[in-house]
Amino acid sequence: MLETVLEPGTADPAASFHERQRAAYRFMLLARLLDDKFAALYRAGKIHGGVFLGRGQEALSAALGVSLKKGDVFAPLIRDAAGRLAFGEPVLDTVRTHLGSPLGPMRGRDGNVHRGKPREGYFPMISHLGAMISVVNGALFARRLKGVTGMVGAASVGDGATSTGSFHEALNQAAIEKLPLVLVVANNHYAYSTPNERQFACRDLADKALGYGVEVQTVDGTDLSACLNVVGSAVGMARAGRGPQLVIATLLRLCGHGEHDDAGYVDPKLKKSPLGRDCLKVAEEQLLRLGRADAAQLAVWRNEAIHEIEEAVARVQREPAPDPFAEEWRAISSKQLSEGHE
Amino acid sequence: MPQIPIIMPQLGESIAEAKVVNFLVKPGDTVEADQDLIEVETNKATMAVTSPCRGRLEKLTAQMKESYPVGAVLGQIEATQEEAVRLGLDVLPPVKASDTDRLAKSDANGGKNRVQPTVRGLPVPANAAGASYLSPRLKARMHELGLSAADLAGIAGSGAAGRVTVEDFEKFITQIEKHRTSEASMMRVTVADAMRRSWTRPIAHVGLPVRLDPLFAYRKIARPKPGPALCALRALAVALAENSAPAGRLVGSKIVHPSSIDIAFAVESEDGVFVPVIRDADKRSLKDLIAPYNELVELARARKLPPDATGGSIATVTNFGTFGLEWATPIPLPEQALVLGLGAARHRPHWDGVKGQFVPVMEANMTLSFDHRVLDGGAAGRLLQHVSDLMAHPEQL
Amino acid sequence: MSITYLEAIREAQAHALRDDPRVFIYGQDVGAFGGAFKATKNLAKEFPGRVLDSPISEDAMIGLAVGAAIEGLRPIIEMQFADFSTTGFNQIVNQAATLFWRTNVPCPITVRLPVGGTPGSGPFHSQSMESVYAHYPGLIVLTPATVEDAYSMLLEAVAIDDPVIFCEHKFLYYHLKAETLPSEALPVGKARIAREGRDMTIVAHSAMVQDALAAAAELSPEGWEVEVVDLRSVKPLDTDTVMASVARTGRLLCVGESWPWGGVTAEVIARVTSEGYDLLDAPPQRLNARDTPVPYHPNLWTAHRPTTRSIAAAARNLLRL
Repeated sequence: MLETVLEPGTADPAASFHERQRAAYRFMLLARLLDDKFAALYRAGKIHGGVFLGRGQEALSAALGVSLKKGDVFAPLIRDAAGRLAFGEPVLDTVRTHLGSPLGPMRGRDGNVHRGKPREGYFPMISHLGAMISVVNGALFARRLKGVTGMVGAASVGDGATSTGSFHEALNQAAIEKLPLVLVVANNHYAYSTPNERQFACRDLADKALGYGVEVQTVDGTDLSACLNVVGSAVGMARAGRGPQLVIATLLRLCGHGEHDDAGYVDPKLKKSPLGRDCLKVAEEQLLRLGRADAAQLAVWRNEAIHEIEEAVARVQREPAPDPFAEEWRAISSKQLSEGHE
Repeated sequence: MPQIPIIMPQLGESIAEAKVVNFLVKPGDTVEADQDLIEVETNKATMAVTSPCRGRLEKLTAQMKESYPVGAVLGQIEATQEEAVRLGLDVLPPVKASDTDRLAKSDANGGKNRVQPTVRGLPVPANAAGASYLSPRLKARMHELGLSAADLAGIAGSGAAGRVTVEDFEKFITQIEKHRTSEASMMRVTVADAMRRSWTRPIAHVGLPVRLDPLFAYRKIARPKPGPALCALRALAVALAENSAPAGRLVGSKIVHPSSIDIAFAVESEDGVFVPVIRDADKRSLKDLIAPYNELVELARARKLPPDATGGSIATVTNFGTFGLEWATPIPLPEQALVLGLGAARHRPHWDGVKGQFVPVMEANMTLSFDHRVLDGGAAGRLLQHVSDLMAHPEQL
Repeated sequence: MSITYLEAIREAQAHALRDDPRVFIYGQDVGAFGGAFKATKNLAKEFPGRVLDSPISEDAMIGLAVGAAIEGLRPIIEMQFADFSTTGFNQIVNQAATLFWRTNVPCPITVRLPVGGTPGSGPFHSQSMESVYAHYPGLIVLTPATVEDAYSMLLEAVAIDDPVIFCEHKFLYYHLKAETLPSEALPVGKARIAREGRDMTIVAHSAMVQDALAAAAELSPEGWEVEVVDLRSVKPLDTDTVMASVARTGRLLCVGESWPWGGVTAEVIARVTSEGYDLLDAPPQRLNARDTPVPYHPNLWTAHRPTTRSIAAAARNLLRL
């Protein structure tokens, strides 16, 4: 299975670039197929609430995931299906959360992209964009206080999140404390339907780095190799103690904001430009061209991924829905302080 | 010299305001405590606002013919300091931020600062207006003790508008417990409840003397012998069979007519009364009713009446004459509108116009208690007369 | 020796820092300056690296606390004024308060809010935020009214594994004094009978407890014995103690410094009325601040909020019903 081959979560940055490239591609593929599956389930009415895909952003996300190692902390966002898998999230967790299974990490209490396992350094997002960055800061701060070194905290945001107060406060805070934060901004040019020119007035998001006093790199988010290089180097610099690292990636979302949205507002010129190319195809071409995989291998990987997904979905669909009568309706851990009032 | 305000008092339950109709004093006058100062008119009466203390009337701020709510300031009296303190009256306070300086110690009970009390003596109707207000707590206590609103009559209420508070109630109960008490039997409690419920209606009574000589003459030859009560019962049945309206029951704005002439009669037992029923008393003659009647009396005395022998009757007959009473005003059962009562038979002188002298006759008072919502005096009287007439010919009953 | 409410809070923090290496304090001006109210005076010196100045970023302050808590630390976040916590409101109610519910990982943060009005403090330095936070599931809200409780409840707050909103009343900081700090205390979640009575119950919390006690003292010579219940914690709210008190007295007046709509007074009355309806001999009453922002001028300020005088008047009204 995929797990044994890739050993998720232990992607060693010291491993050769080629290995990371192959690993990243496989996570991208898995993420893409998983997203397709969720889209299909959504259209079949099998998913409650919304479905949010990361189609078009897999390269950036996977690059981040494979650049992190066990012991790092990661706060992914909406389009990070690939990065989450690369960081070690089991497919079963994703499927269970989307289908609301009480056996998933969120136990039906939260759904779709709002998932994580905090104690394993994998933070579940809340819907307020930018809010997770300071939580990552806190984890980094705590480790430092405990004398732990050599770790990195990564947070993903989009262009929209850069307008929030939480983004501003958190990046500023990380810079003041010189925390090993890697903040990856996926500028896909639209926050829901809002284009960049209505989101920020600076020439380039990268210009903000000067204002915050942090280092920044930019990258073409559709190019896996480029992403691996840039994100890898940002992670390395943060780990080496150079303070927060900002990465601004440009790409395009190849789906709606959610599956309920048709993204009709996206400028067709953008779609037709190099920005609109499919990073998965680009990555495939790179692997083939550089001889790091052949068509047969790609097909095998694809089939394995499909199989794994189908099995997971079939299994989870047999699991019972959460039982409100079996739920412990208590929001605090201290039982003796909990009130039974309705 | 402190200024004591003249405040519009609470002039009666549910009074919210009053109109100034007359000033009895003028500024500069010296006034005594409780002296009438201002006449005010409420929607119920004209009353006087009195002076809160002795002093000099400083000013009257109220205007003639204007209405002021309870608690409004109508004027000021200038009083001596001692007078103000003696009566514990308020001076209109300036608001001081230093009120909050009272937080000197954690244990504020030991605070030495004395704050001027606010205006006294004003009961507040608020949302608990009315002497009949029963708080949830009071109702719960009453329920616990098996009491009803009727049991509260006669308890002095100290709450707003004179309502009975839980404290008043508990004091009453404690008082009760100081007296010797005995358990009321189940029967007693049941009858008490029935009488209370019955009494929610306006019950009236009429009566007339009925001659029993024909009945006593008939008894000399009849076998078996009918008693006076059974005779009255049968007579009532015949009368009601002809016109059942007097036994109708008022439910809302409808009169429910009886469907059969079932009449009950009272049998006294140890601690209460049983009321077995003669069904279709209009359909059997007096002679045929004697045996069933006697049997029911036996069963009642032995407390062995079957369930179908009671209930569902439209009237009751009671022979209070067996207690030696000549007159009584029984209360009908809650589900009935009529009680026919028969008193003790006595020898009475009766003027015989033909003979031109008094002759002795056997007479008993017969009374009819009725629900005055269904029946008026005239109709009641006519029914009673009809029954009396029927009893003059017992052989035809 | 006499110790103020503020000193008790400082002592508790020193105690926590000393006994538990997981504790740290993060807030504006808390380091060398010792905090706007001196609640952390000298602590940065005594515990180097554990009492840190934050930028003016309430959102990031709380977010950092949550991240640190996930990693097993026990952060104390000092908000400079309760009123400013609204800029961190999202992180408190949507991040900290939902973490355990969503992930089964507890969030042991303590957020200290200087609450309540003082003469001249105005609309943005006077708010009592307890009902807003109590409304959200996942939070514990404490409102100490005494020096002893300021000490013991803050220690307990740090020890509790859930997010605690610790409402310390600014007016009590310097005005309330005690002889010594307690060695034992009622646990969080238990209300205290601050004054035993017979004729009615006043339920209050935070600084209003002191005003309620003064009102009760005023009524005593008039022949009324008023029982005063100090809630101590607004969430969880000790319904049992309140109910037992109303069972004794039959009359209830709830007093709160905050606004009427959905305040603590409303919550107490809702509970007593729905669960203890038959205990009431008169309709329950409440006294709150007026439904306007807190005014600046002391004349307006004292008329805006319940005072000993207005509490006594309300009590008399209730006693006469």
